[in-house]
This record gives sequence, structure tokens and C-alpha cells, in this order.
Amino acid sequence: MPRPRDPALGLKALQTAFGRSVRSATANPADLQLLAGSEDATAFGRRIDVYRNNAWQFFLTALERTYPVTNRRVGADFFRQLARDYRVQHPSQHGDLHWIGAAFPAWLADRMAGTGYEWLADLARLEWACEMSVAAARRDPVGLESLGRFDTDVLPHLTLVLQPSLQLVASPFPIWSVWQANQHDDAAAPVDLATGAEHCAVACVADRVAVYRLEAADYRLLQHLHTGMSLGDATAAAGTDAETPDRLLSRLLGWAFGEGLVVQVVKASPA
Amino acid sequence: MTGVLLPAPVPGLIPARAGIGLRSQHHEAILETAAPPAWLEVHTENYFHAGGPAVRALERARSRYPLSLHGVGLGLGSADPIDRGHLERVRDAVQRFEPGLVSEHACWGHVDGEHFNDLLPLPYTEEAVEHLAARVREVQDFLGRQILVENLSAYVSFASSQLSEGEFLAAVVERSGCGLLLDVNNAYVNAANLGSDLDTFFAALPRHAIQEIHLAGHSRRRVGMHELLIDDHGSAVCDDVWDLYEDALRRFGPLPTLIEWDNEVPPLETLLAEAARAEQRLQRHHAAAA
Repeated sequence: MPRPRDPALGLKALQTAFGRSVRSATANPADLQLLAGSEDATAFGRRIDVYRNNAWQFFLTALERTYPVTNRRVGADFFRQLARDYRVQHPSQHGDLHWIGAAFPAWLADRMAGTGYEWLADLARLEWACEMSVAAARRDPVGLESLGRFDTDVLPHLTLVLQPSLQLVASPFPIWSVWQANQHDDAAAPVDLATGAEHCAVACVADRVAVYRLEAADYRLLQHLHTGMSLGDATAAAGTDAETPDRLLSRLLGWAFGEGLVVQVVKASPA
Repeated sequence: MTGVLLPAPVPGLIPARAGIGLRSQHHEAILETAAPPAWLEVHTENYFHAGGPAVRALERARSRYPLSLHGVGLGLGSADPIDRGHLERVRDAVQRFEPGLVSEHACWGHVDGEHFNDLLPLPYTEEAVEHLAARVREVQDFLGRQILVENLSAYVSFASSQLSEGEFLAAVVERSGCGLLLDVNNAYVNAANLGSDLDTFFAALPRHAIQEIHLAGHSRRRVGMHELLIDDHGSAVCDDVWDLYEDALRRFGPLPTLIEWDNEVPPLETLLAEAARAEQRLQRHHAAAA
């Protein structure tokens, strides 16, 4: 039952005009005329508002879900403003809402540079690490006894395969403390931002995200192990602040195996 | 001894009974409920991840329920190329969860590199039919199976449209070989918002292609001089939509029917009560057909 009302508008041209109308604060009259044809362009424009509002709400909600602590720290109104500005430079690039916040920490670092709020970007990096961690595959962990299969002289040449969900985030600011203080609905305890650097490991274990605060030396060692260095090389590269390398390695291995972060122990091939 | 060779049971086949949309709030409760629904449907994109609590929860649910995967992010009718990465993740989810049905929407969602993460309406033109049918064929070829395409709720109609919505969908079915997912609430919303005729819409749909029905709630919003029905999936199915569902069952027979509730998600018991209302109607039509 053909019933042409207006000259056909090509699909690509229609979607481009519609997209512009949804993206902008108010639709361009020329686009509305193109889309509505002889119909009431003003009424058509009001209906476009529904789509504009949907697109914005989906974007904002996705960002709020990914960055709940950042949102809480800056307040809902300022977070909405940040989200609006971020969307201008980083419109959604995926049909999957999960990725909307991927560029937010880097964008926030630029936005906050020189404002005294640089720590917010690092907090956002920690929250994105949580998002990535929860999405990662989980492998069955192995226990500390898996090291016992090897002769003592081989131990320095072993490498560890760690949980795919493991993420490492370091900051000159106490971002773990801020994150931790905002995990409950009651008022967050104040955190003194002058207390300095914190080093974090994020992993999804037992179906929940765990965020650990590590000593700087432990973090460096874990970082090297994460890149595939052998136990011996990683320990040497990590350096120590006060304790012996063996003690550092022993403590970190006890923690990593205990938390289920190690999924395989591999004897490195000789060079 | 001779006998009738019965077709082998199809693992995960979706029964012509009432199911519910599984949302994260109910991941645990759905495993423990004393009144389980006949099947579950999830939004495919929520289970794209390699792991995590949601994926494992769905794996547990999948072991107990037939499952349907319902996509909301492919933007099948977008004039720009289909996102192959997204399509690959759909395929991965299909291979992982082995759903009885896979569905998407008769919509578009991205242009010039920007995704709106919404289900945007298509013009009902010959060009759009050809384009959407080609995209559906591309997806079906890639997945190695038929998909269902759902009729959209819309707030605008385009001046360039040449076909009715029913004619448009029938043409897409004919040229792509896809099935249809009939969303009764969407049809109701469109009739109210755009003045489309429900009888004409139903009459144009190819009966053989309809394999699933969706039911959902909508809200009302004043927009300018008019009241629009907003397909927000945030409330119970209204009486008018239940009546329209009865009409659909009379026309198309008992079909797998889903209760969708995505916003202001209520306790599982509320969803199950809605599903029970659909199940009662389905059983009546099953009995009448027997």
C-alpha cells in the first residue's frame, strides 16, 4: 500500500539529520524540515526531545554506574556537568554501554590539571580498573604448594601467571583511602589528601571486586611479576625499602597465593 | 518393530509459555524461586564479558532454564557499516549460552561514528527494507542461525515513509528469512503515538514468521500539545495491552511470551505474577488449539 507523502529522503541522509537533532541541544530547523516534510516540524521537534533525553540518560547512567565514588566525591550536579562536557569530546563509540567511560579518567586528568583536584582522575582510574576487572575472565587459582613441585634452585627462574582480572593502579594521592571511605551509604570519613601516594591492586575474586592497598615495594614486585618477569628478576628489579628481598618475595607470594591471584606457576625456559 | 520417529528434543528450545526478562537484581532469586518461569531472556550486551559475576550467574541460570538472547546494541538498520566487533561478541555469547532464540530490533542506532545507545526508528521505505534485510542476512550468515526482529516503539514517523509498519516488517521477513518478535506493547504505543491502526498492523504480519511475543508497561508524558506513551518498561502491563495480547493469541496462536521490566525493577514475585497472567491466557489458547 504505497502512500508517499514527501519526496524520499535517503537513509543515510535521514540518519545524519536525525543524529544531529538528537546530539544537539535543540534540533536544527532545516533538519526538522527534512525529517518531518510537510508534517508539523515543531511537533516533530518536540518528539525528538524524547530521543535526545533517552540518549543523554543512557550515557549519564552508564557513567554514573562506572564511577560511583567519583560521582559521590564531586556531587551529582557537578558530575552531570562533567558527563555533558565529556560526552562532547567522547560520544559513545559502542553499542555496548560498558565502554562509555573508557576515556573518562584520561579526559578528567586533562580537565583537572592545575586545579588542585588532579586526584579525581586517579580515583577514576581506580574505578575503571574495577570495571575492567569485573569483566575479565576468572581462572581457577593454584595454591602456594604449587611452588613445592620445583627444586629450590629453580625457584628464581619461575614465573607466575596471574588472574586476568588483576589490575594495578598507583597514584601520588591516597586514592585507596578515598575509595574505601566511600563504599557505604553513610557519610564518608574525611581523607587527608596530603597523606601521599597509595598503590592499589584490583582483582575480581569469589564474584566480587577486591581493591587492595599495597606497600610500594610489594606493588613494584607485583608489577614486575605481572609483566612476566621471573621471581628472581622481579625481586631484583623491585628493590627494597627496608627489608631483605627474600622477605619481600615471601610476603608478596603468601598474599598473592592466599587471595587466589595466581593461576599458574611456570618454569621459565632458559635464555 | 516399526514406530513413529519423534524429532529429537532441541536443547534450550523456548516453549510456548510465559518467561521473564532476567535482570541482575534477580540473579540469585531466580535459582531459588518455588514458582519458576518457563524460560528466561536477557539483554545480550549485558553478558559480553569474558567473566565476572553476571556471566557466571547467567551460566547457572542457563543450566536450569531455556534462554533467549535479546540484543539492543547492533543497530541493524544503521546506514553505516555494522560494528563487526559487536557482532563477534554476539556470536561469542550465542556460542557460550546456546540460546533457543536470538533477537534484535528493527531500528538503527549509530551514524557517523557516534552511537546513541537507543533504538531509533527507521523510515518505512523500499531502501530501508532492502538495507535492513541485507543486514539481517549478514548477521544470520555470521551467526549461522535465524534471528528474530522486533517491531519498534516510536515517537515519530517520517515523511519519507512509503509503507505501513506491518508491510515493512513483512517485506524484511520475506527478503531476509528472519523471524519476528512481536512486541504487543510497542504496537499499542505506536497506535497511540502515531495513529497507526492495530488491526491493519496485525493483518500485515506474516503469521508463520512470528515466534515470540513481548509484553511490557509504558508511561505517559505530555509533549507539547499531545500526550505520548513512553515505552519505558517500568511498570505492569496495562489492561489494554492485555486485551491486545489476547487478540494476538487469537490471530497467531500461543507463542513464547516474555514479561519485560527493565526500569524500577520490582521484586521477582511481581514479575512472576505478571508471567502467570500471561501463562493463564497461553494455557487457554493451548487448550483451544488441542
